[in-house]
Amino acid sequence: MWRDVVGLFRDYMGTGMIFIWYMITLLYLWINERRKDLRILFVYMPLILLLVYFNPLFAGLVYRAAGGEVYYRILWLLPVTVTIAYGCVQISGRIARLQAPGGSFFHGKEGLLGDLFSLCMAGTIALSGSFIYSSPLFSKAENIYHVPESVVHICDEINVPGREVMAAFPMELVPYVRQYSPVTCMPYGREMTVERWGYYNPLAEAMKQEVIQLETLVPLIRQAGCHYCVFRENQKIQGIPEDYGWEKFHETDGYVIYRDPVTELVIP
Amino acid sequence: MIIQLSILFLLLLVVPVIVGELFIRVDGLAENILFHWVSGQFLLWAGFQLICVPLILQERSFGYLVKLFSGYMAACVLLAAAARIRRPLRHGEGRTAVRTGHLLKWGKSHTAAQAGHSLKQGEGSGRTAAQTGHPLNLREACFRAAGCGGKNRGTVLWLFFWGVLLFQLAQAVKMSYGDTDDAYYVAVSTITQNADTMYQKLPYTGGATVLDARHGLAPFPIWIAFLARLSGMEAVIVAKVVVPVALIAMTYAVFYLVGRILFPEKGRRLALFLVFSEILVLFGNTSIYTVENFMIARSRQGKAALGSIVIPFLLLLLLLLLKKIQQKERISFLFCVLMGTVTVTGCLCSTLGALLVCLALGTAGLLAALCYKRPGVLVPMALCCIPCLVYAYLYLVFD
Repeated sequence: MWRDVVGLFRDYMGTGMIFIWYMITLLYLWINERRKDLRILFVYMPLILLLVYFNPLFAGLVYRAAGGEVYYRILWLLPVTVTIAYGCVQISGRIARLQAPGGSFFHGKEGLLGDLFSLCMAGTIALSGSFIYSSPLFSKAENIYHVPESVVHICDEINVPGREVMAAFPMELVPYVRQYSPVTCMPYGREMTVERWGYYNPLAEAMKQEVIQLETLVPLIRQAGCHYCVFRENQKIQGIPEDYGWEKFHETDGYVIYRDPVTELVIP
Repeated sequence: MIIQLSILFLLLLVVPVIVGELFIRVDGLAENILFHWVSGQFLLWAGFQLICVPLILQERSFGYLVKLFSGYMAACVLLAAAARIRRPLRHGEGRTAVRTGHLLKWGKSHTAAQAGHSLKQGEGSGRTAAQTGHPLNLREACFRAAGCGGKNRGTVLWLFFWGVLLFQLAQAVKMSYGDTDDAYYVAVSTITQNADTMYQKLPYTGGATVLDARHGLAPFPIWIAFLARLSGMEAVIVAKVVVPVALIAMTYAVFYLVGRILFPEKGRRLALFLVFSEILVLFGNTSIYTVENFMIARSRQGKAALGSIVIPFLLLLLLLLLKKIQQKERISFLFCVLMGTVTVTGCLCSTLGALLVCLALGTAGLLAALCYKRPGVLVPMALCCIPCLVYAYLYLVFD
């Protein structure tokens, strides 16, 4: 478990550069901060919290009660952003007071050196961290719902007023379907997309195959009571859907929707 | 859409600002409109948690919760309005629309535009209006409303801060973050709005299930469903567009208030502090676990609100508390209530919130008791932790 705690700490820090700046700021405040309230909250408290975080007894308790995956959130109690920002402003002010008034781009009367320090620190923080919108998980929203446009079109197409429908979706669409449409039910959900959770569903496994075997899939779809099955347009399929009684219902955004008439869809 | 957005504007901004009036006596800082906004929202969140969890455990309908919580909200607004009427107007309050160096005051103030024509230059230049006699022009009034007023005001820094803040809010609308945890949290909001049940349907697949009491103890997604029900907007849009905008702005409001305590002179240093905060947030994507990542990318999830709003606001209250202890001021009952709303809100946001909030309060309380030799301070702080202990107990029972 100790290894897990340290591993989580390492994961939390990422490159560790921002955390190094945080530690340097802590040290600066330890030496220079005169306000007792700030010393307590910005210096003593974080150090105690770090000791608590690495305390195996405490970690054991939290691991048992809440699970290990969320243990890193103890580190949220460290006021990293506020402390570094405060430290930078303090140091900048201190440097500015050292310098004779000379004028600067920012404010004209205080020291140029303080401004230069602020600029350098801003640049250093930017280089030490990682721009949040450069994350590959960010993308331009396709619509106001912030779900793929294909999900919106497919759900709108298969939904029936006044009742729920059951549909099997390709894995990449699964996490978004029920965010958009609470009346579209699925035989398997997002839990099947997270491998480390170790869930098993034969239908989900059949849908994940590179070449989908209809001979295996169709009985599972019927057993799950699915009214529809959605494939990628370029999905390789072994067998012809129409041979199993399926009807091509609609094509949209690179997906093909098949309707299985065996599962009755009574419209209220 | 405009009507729906107007209702959400009322629910997320106007109502909390009005309700925040109840905490005006907590501290001098509480007169600030941003303090109103945040503290009012915390009172509403805490009330939501206290009303919602028992109803979830009793498997009552969502519609019933909406009625009860709407009543609570209306009662808070009426109480706040009554408190405002009863509070004697301070000298010049009615005339002062813009306070130098910070934001507009709520109440019988003029608008910024009116202020531009009628107000006189104030404390920012170190002179009173009567002394200077110069009427403020519109540009000056707007600058002051934006926090750029006062001597050595760092106008460029303030403009930079506002620009970057607007950029972040625009990104919250324009950009989508592919986090699969939304498959749970957003789906819970969507289902709740649609099915009128709370935590009784499987969010991933849609099948009926027994009550998911463990997640029901932190019903932040139900609050989003409440906003969706009242506004008539779809829960997915409220969760992914409206709530992030409101919560990101609220995070910076908390940073601003923290900055006001750190830099009471309110000028350039406060602006620089906020600019550094923004840079640290924008470049805080050092891992997917950082609070900055949660704040920007997953702001509709309760845990993001815990890390980016609840914990910083708790830090703000601890700063105020230590200041009061240092100045040998009495810690008022109202202050303890506000601290209590923060602990309860921690439980609303995440099941781990109870632990985090208690840990922070406990550590700060012990340090304060030791450093200031005031063991008595531990009593109100321990009382504030009681709701967390109750929720933690329930969590262990249902886990």
